[in-house]
Amino acid sequence: MNSQTILDGALVLVILLNLAMLAVSRLATCIRLFAMQSLLLALLPPAIESSHGNVPGLHEALVAAGVLGLKVLLIPWVLLRILRTGEIHEEIEPFIGFTASVLVGAALVVGSFAITAHLPLLAEPVSDLLLPVSAATILVGLLILISRVKAVTQVVGFLVMENGIYLFGLMLLKQTPLLVELGILLDLFVGVFIMAIVVYHIRREFDHIDTHLLDTLKDT
Amino acid sequence: MQYPHLLFVAAPLAFALLCLCLPFAWLRMASLVAGALAHLTLVARSWQVPAAPPAAEAYIALDPLGHLFLTLNSVLFLATSVYFVGYHRRKLVSQRVFLACILALLAALSLVAVSQQIGLLWVAMEAASLAATPLIYFRLGPRALEATWKFVLMNSVGIALALLGIFCVAAASGSADEAPISLTVTDLMQNANRLNPVWLRAGFLFALVGFGTKMGLAPLHSWKPDAYGEAPPPVAALLAGGMTLGAFTGILRVVQVCNAAGLATFAGSWLVVFGLLSIAVAAMFVVGNNDYRRLLAYTSVEHMGIMAIGVGLGASGSYAAMLHAMHNTLNKGVLFFLAGFVWRTYHSNQIRDVAGLLHRHPFAGVLFLSGLCATCGLPPFGMFYSELGILFAAARTSHWWVLGLFAFMLSVVFVGVMTAMLPMVFGEPSKPIEAPPAPVPPQRWRGGFMLGAAATLAALAFSLGAYQPAAVKQALDDAASTVNGPLVRVAVTQRPQAEAIP
Repeated sequence: MNSQTILDGALVLVILLNLAMLAVSRLATCIRLFAMQSLLLALLPPAIESSHGNVPGLHEALVAAGVLGLKVLLIPWVLLRILRTGEIHEEIEPFIGFTASVLVGAALVVGSFAITAHLPLLAEPVSDLLLPVSAATILVGLLILISRVKAVTQVVGFLVMENGIYLFGLMLLKQTPLLVELGILLDLFVGVFIMAIVVYHIRREFDHIDTHLLDTLKDT
Repeated sequence: MQYPHLLFVAAPLAFALLCLCLPFAWLRMASLVAGALAHLTLVARSWQVPAAPPAAEAYIALDPLGHLFLTLNSVLFLATSVYFVGYHRRKLVSQRVFLACILALLAALSLVAVSQQIGLLWVAMEAASLAATPLIYFRLGPRALEATWKFVLMNSVGIALALLGIFCVAAASGSADEAPISLTVTDLMQNANRLNPVWLRAGFLFALVGFGTKMGLAPLHSWKPDAYGEAPPPVAALLAGGMTLGAFTGILRVVQVCNAAGLATFAGSWLVVFGLLSIAVAAMFVVGNNDYRRLLAYTSVEHMGIMAIGVGLGASGSYAAMLHAMHNTLNKGVLFFLAGFVWRTYHSNQIRDVAGLLHRHPFAGVLFLSGLCATCGLPPFGMFYSELGILFAAARTSHWWVLGLFAFMLSVVFVGVMTAMLPMVFGEPSKPIEAPPAPVPPQRWRGGFMLGAAATLAALAFSLGAYQPAAVKQALDDAASTVNGPLVRVAVTQRPQAEAIP
């Protein structure tokens, strides 16, 4: 099995995890699936480098370590901790039902393959799947963000979207400066940290984390 | 020192740390004002150094556009910090964190203004919105929480889309050899004719939507009335006058690259569409709104739309957009400062509870009236000239339908704002308002600080509208030509076929 097959397999797994996240109703499972997806993404930069026959350099190692530390360990841990302190573990019936949202998700995947086929290829694509998988992950993240009720799930949706953007960025990994990538990771971390604090306050204020109660502010 | 402009970032950060460490509330307050004052001093000194064109690979440089926005932010933050001395009350939960976040916001916005690398600009912009989040959630309670959640979530999605846009711009400049991509604006503009137009278009659209969310362009503006309505008014002033400038910088940097790559018409038409949509949304929601802070937030959406249209109309509109940006910052300061004053006086957000400000506080009433006239673009004030300039630009480029819609919707906003807010100023105070027992007895010096800060900004706005010194005009001109510079025409002749590629 050559390294190209492994890469493609990993990307297909990313798509399957996207659909799985749409299908599960338990919040904790959703967060764990996100952590698994992030783990795949963390291993991609060194894998890409070795598929080119190079030894992974400092740049790839730092990015992989950053993703591993933040998205695989720290952020899921923080989110699971919030769940544990609360009482509710199930996503109540979302705006779009679970089965329906898997179907919509599948349509989004097909759509992103169809659209990205028309885009001009970047120099030396790592894998033909990288661009469509990235687009599909961004769209599925947006879908989770829009269609779910719990604040925690919305945070997961944002993070899945961020994963898609990260996949897109992988194509440019060698050509973009490290400083900026580390800044992006740092901002992401602080952003999720602040979101976690807000979610915690929402739970304390309303006794649960449904965002559909957050609709007092509107124009009469 | 390699990067002297990093001082604009380091100075407020140092004072923010000081705010976190100092033991007494009044010392921390002094540190806030000192930080803002130090920043303004640094900015004022930087105007004495003749501006040099930024080196191609420099991450940090001060070009005319960044310099203008940096100065506006600096003035606004100093006024806000003085205002806050009068506004603040003991019952604030953690004054340390609040003051440190204000200074961190100033530092982040300064970094946005001086960064020439769009990746770095993104990092700074995200840092700015993260620093602003605790400021919005300051009053605690369910309403502030809801506003904060919407702000965090929508801005995170927006900034993520902007990041995708930046990656697309990077993809546009990707080459077969794995040479490092330089994402500095100057470098991108110099290599504009080698950029892939499809990816550049995608990058522009994502950046426009992403930074547009942060700026408050419709249709992704919906966090804005909530955040501005629930945040303390001085914070709303910082967001409406300062953070919008930062997000606008992000859009303008990508517009610069698009202009250089011969995509000026493409970028311009999308800016005009988003701008018109924003003004239309503002016009719809301004009419009949009963919460004066939300209403002011919608006028902010309107002004963002006007700035986008100005830039979208090309070189002749860009000057008007810069003029509008300057007056918007001053005007939003005045209006939100007074909104805070009115709130302290009447203890209500509702327009119907507020009447006869001119009777109760003649000075505040006059200031509020002048701010309203300015925001509606009445003649003695600067926004009249900028809106007129955009009308002329639309006529000159024969965008007649833009001209018609623009003029029509501006008059709707004018009528909406004036019918809603004039009774607040005039009118009889219907009932003697019994002030709820204030935790702190009213102190005259508080009002003095609050109205003093507002009056300074109002006087600045009025005098800049009535008489524009040559130096100010020069600065605005330079900033406008940074966006649609002479480089554009050179690059367009190099690449006339760019528009034809789908």
